[in-house]
Amino acid sequence: MRALAFKARVLFATRFAEMAEYRAEVVIWMLSGTLSLVMMLVWMAQAAAAPGGQIRGYSAPEFATYFLSTWLVSQLLVVWVSHELDFQIRQGTLSPQLLRPVDPMWLHVASHVAERLVRIVPLLVMVGVFTWLSGASFTREWWAYPAALGLAALGFSVRFLYEYAIGLLAFWTESSASFQEVVWLVYAALGGMFAPLAFYPEWVQRVAVWTPFPYMLGLPAQLLAGKATLAQAGRGALVLLVWLAVFWVVRLIVWRVGLRKYGAVGA
Amino acid sequence: MKRYLRLVRIFVGATLSAQLEYRANFLGAVLASLGEVGVTLLGLSILFGQPGVTQVGGWSFREALLVTGFFMLTEGVISVFIQPNMSKIAEAVRTGNMDFTLLKPIDAQFNVSTRNLNVLRFPDLLIGLGLIGYAASGLDVTPGGALAAAMLYGSAVVIVYCIYLGLSTTAFWFVKTQNVTELFSGVFGAARFPVAAFPVPVRFVLTFVLPVAFITTVPAQALTGALGGGLALASPLIAAALFLGTRWFWRYAVASYTSASS
Repeated sequence: MRALAFKARVLFATRFAEMAEYRAEVVIWMLSGTLSLVMMLVWMAQAAAAPGGQIRGYSAPEFATYFLSTWLVSQLLVVWVSHELDFQIRQGTLSPQLLRPVDPMWLHVASHVAERLVRIVPLLVMVGVFTWLSGASFTREWWAYPAALGLAALGFSVRFLYEYAIGLLAFWTESSASFQEVVWLVYAALGGMFAPLAFYPEWVQRVAVWTPFPYMLGLPAQLLAGKATLAQAGRGALVLLVWLAVFWVVRLIVWRVGLRKYGAVGA
Repeated sequence: MKRYLRLVRIFVGATLSAQLEYRANFLGAVLASLGEVGVTLLGLSILFGQPGVTQVGGWSFREALLVTGFFMLTEGVISVFIQPNMSKIAEAVRTGNMDFTLLKPIDAQFNVSTRNLNVLRFPDLLIGLGLIGYAASGLDVTPGGALAAAMLYGSAVVIVYCIYLGLSTTAFWFVKTQNVTELFSGVFGAARFPVAAFPVPVRFVLTFVLPVAFITTVPAQALTGALGGGLALASPLIAAALFLGTRWFWRYAVASYTSASS
């Protein structure tokens, strides 16, 4: 147990030092994820121009709150491991990592968690500025914040695992990056980045509840905007736990099968 | 001039033969193109899918689809012609290969801008043109409007090229420029929608601070006939100013570049 704690501490400390060095880049990466903000502005203008100043019960400030929450949660859910894995496998830099007594996945986990910690401060500053500029107002219920954070943490774990599995496809194909783009589109669409999920046609909503995306992005955003209950959050957490178990197994299988193929090519 | 045209033909042939070696990548590229189209169309269709919504910022669905088509077309132009070249500038500076480029007897900016081509993203161009054609077929488009749109889109492509070149030229000092171009891509995402769909202060920013409006909204306005003379004149002027500015900046960067070797 002590050895495990020691490894975890070393991994984490080195990744954090690395991420703190790249803090300027972290800020730029944050600013390039603008889809939520663009949709926010468009929907706000639409609501302001609509009869009654609202569309389906959302007024302009409520749209602002929803999309800012979406932006905040999506920033917490950022995962880049599939690109890194793709690069490492194709360049062969995966090989030295296999010699270590730790599954390479934990290195990536430590990187992501460290980056999240570096990102948190500029993120909160930016959310503050955007809130002030757009007139959004987050919920006053205290329980929404830890609930949203918990869902975001679960959602990040699920996302990390399936993105890791997609990155491992690089053992077999050169096009795992394109596949990842399509999965990102489904994540953005069903997660509610284009509009709150209730705005979609019925059949899309029915399909969406079978995927983890509405629970990792849409639900925490609704919680922060004050439009979801604690019971819904609890149900969402259970669903995400199931998906976590599923993708844990998927990742493990893909990793074992892929490693065999990687070794066979004489890396 | 003829020499440069012949060089373009040689570069295209070289990159084509290199890329066609990896035919399996084509499937992945088609997937990525479809993903891009999906994102753009989804945002638009949800906006118009709300009960009672027939206009976004004064634009009907077909008209807004025009803007989306121009956006896809521009994304295609960037993926096929601009991005493969600009991403190599930073790499060349870092590895020292920029020295060899600068030693060649042709203009370095020309070499750096036309050497590579990403044929795999060609479907993006076709999809963009297809969307524009479909949207325009439902509107009254005059031949004069179509000609104006083509010319204004030409100046739009020049604007995009100059912005990318300007951002990539900073590689001579900062070496790692992928982030700034990512930043531009993020801001450019607003070009999916007509500028009038945004709140008024944002419209101002998108027209006068970052020329995003000139890239997709202005050519679309030329096709719908709603174009004002002011913007129509401003677009080529801005393109010319940017071209001269980035040319000067490029030459300044090369002049202040101390080569990779001692």
